[in-house]
Amino acid sequence: MLDFIYQTGWGAFTLMLLFQIPFLLIFPYIVYRKSFVNAAPSHTDPRKLSRLETVWLIVAITLFIAANVYSINYMPMVRTAATESSAAVIQDVDVTARSWSYEISNRQFEVGKPVRFSVKSVDTMHGFTVYHPNGKILFNMMLIPGLEKASSLVYTFTEPGKYKVRCLEYCGIAHHAMQDELTVVESGS
Amino acid sequence: MLAATIRRTPFLGKMFDVDESTGLSDINTWPAMMIMTSFVWLIVAILLGALMPVIQIAEMDTNLFYSAITLHGAALAFPFLFQFMMGISLHRSGGCMGKSASGTLTTLIYVCMNGGAVLLTLAVIGGLKITYTVMYPLPLVGAQLGQWSMGMVVLGFTGIALVLTSIILLYPIQIIRMSFFGKQREDLLLSARTLKDPGMLGMVMSVMILLVTGTPLMIVAGALLLALYGIVPLEAITWASEPVVFQYVFYIFAHNLMEAMAIMVISAVYATLPLYLADGTRKLYSDKLANLALWILLVTSVTSFFHHFYTTNPGLPSALAYHGNFMSWATGIGAALSTFTILATIWKHGIKTEPGLMAILAGFVVYILDGVNAMVAGNIAVSYQIHGTLWVGGHAMSVLIAMCLMWMGVLYHHYPVITGKKLDTKLGNRFVKFYFIGAIGLLYSFAAGGAMGMPRRFADWSAGPDGWMMVGIAILIFGIFLIVGFATYMQNFLRSRAIS
Repeated sequence: MLDFIYQTGWGAFTLMLLFQIPFLLIFPYIVYRKSFVNAAPSHTDPRKLSRLETVWLIVAITLFIAANVYSINYMPMVRTAATESSAAVIQDVDVTARSWSYEISNRQFEVGKPVRFSVKSVDTMHGFTVYHPNGKILFNMMLIPGLEKASSLVYTFTEPGKYKVRCLEYCGIAHHAMQDELTVVESGS
Repeated sequence: MLAATIRRTPFLGKMFDVDESTGLSDINTWPAMMIMTSFVWLIVAILLGALMPVIQIAEMDTNLFYSAITLHGAALAFPFLFQFMMGISLHRSGGCMGKSASGTLTTLIYVCMNGGAVLLTLAVIGGLKITYTVMYPLPLVGAQLGQWSMGMVVLGFTGIALVLTSIILLYPIQIIRMSFFGKQREDLLLSARTLKDPGMLGMVMSVMILLVTGTPLMIVAGALLLALYGIVPLEAITWASEPVVFQYVFYIFAHNLMEAMAIMVISAVYATLPLYLADGTRKLYSDKLANLALWILLVTSVTSFFHHFYTTNPGLPSALAYHGNFMSWATGIGAALSTFTILATIWKHGIKTEPGLMAILAGFVVYILDGVNAMVAGNIAVSYQIHGTLWVGGHAMSVLIAMCLMWMGVLYHHYPVITGKKLDTKLGNRFVKFYFIGAIGLLYSFAAGGAMGMPRRFADWSAGPDGWMMVGIAILIFGIFLIVGFATYMQNFLRSRAIS
């Protein structure tokens, strides 16, 4: 479940709905009730409202903390550090982005072997986004020219196939044509 | 003379003809001019917004798409929404503080905003396609690669500098002047308020944010402009022309611009809601709680801008990414308190179902839904899935649409004072329904596109899976709802009748 929430776009959509639905139930209900059903003042005990205020705040803060604490292990920098400390070998790939193409030092990878992508732009802002063959985004990186350190993360492919690369930062009139492809093969093939 | 100019303006002039019999021209005429002009830009933005999915569906020229997206974003955010907000807030500030909203400074605000926007429009028509976020150093790189001319870059940057001068310097100075300096005029005082009032506190907070977070961008943009004019060599301003420098000062400002506008409009909601309570109380559930929400929004939003840079890691050190993540979600605490204050006020006192208030509450719903959208995107792990997709484009657009709806509701309240005319309730309710459906539909369409991995600012939707084009069609349909809502809003102004 957590893999789905923090590692897919639809997971993000689900997380968004989890927070929006309670609001969508409560807010319109109260507005409807106090405008169309009975607009008369409610004689709710002020102490009760004050308690409700505290509960509301505590629930919101607890949910916000939970949503973020659970995500820590899915943060790419955390995953990268964990892989770097545990993997025997990491394949290094250098990528240079320029309008409107990528120079990629290696385009073929093996399933299960971690790859460190170090990506730089040499002219303007670009993106380096890798899509799973099913169309889902695996990760994306924003490239600002002039940054001393290349944008970098370690990723381990889990399935063979053709992985599309797209630029997701608008970079001029042929931005949409800035694409490439990576190939992932079974281990040992 | 200004009132006569408004009156003589074709089509829109009839809607915003100022009532000069009240002696309130000093707080009505310039705001009316700004609001009227902002609607011209909104019409431009709407037409271009609808054109983008049409270009995609009809597989028209991609260059046209990038021109449309540049001008649509720029027109929507600055000469429309910001100017709309300036108009209403200057009127509010004048009426609450008893100070004139006219004068040289206001004239300069108007001229810089609209003059700058016209220059930027001309540059876009001349070929400059940089989106409203500039994407520096794209303007210069694009000229080097022959995508557009350096002349258009100079023209566009001049326009941007004028718009920024209006937003970052002139408007904040005017609000500060009206809030803290000068003698109060009894004849202009409509509803006296102090800075302890949440309805005024947010306004002052907003302009302080603009001034403080925008000044570094003004300095960098000013240096770049001097180099573009050839007054100083480009080599002499390398400290300003570094892409990393520009990107950081830009997002420190741009992110906080949105936050400032949000604080400003929430403040206007706090001021307007009590006026429509069913029992006539005219008080919020708690001014202290409302002010606390504004302070939390202010403090947390300023440094949450780091979320724009998560995916440059390690370019953005992890510690700053964690900080941005924390602050992005902490803004939600301010929003939770605002929500509670509004709900508790409504619960305690009941509300009158006036279209203006309904527009404000509907806008607040969109604002909160979009806030959740932004918080989710502000999580580092999630950001690596959706940054650069339609999700984030949808967030920027939805927050503008939400604020626009709230301001439109606030204008419903102020319109009779400015023009001496009243609006039709039936048309008002119809406007709220259409606009709200459009806004909600667009929010979820963009988020769904982002969840599918559909890139923002991308002129080839047919390159992706079939779902991308479906999202495009949904955007067009809900965009039409928004257009019908706005047309109804305008129709109401056209049909407004003098208050007897």
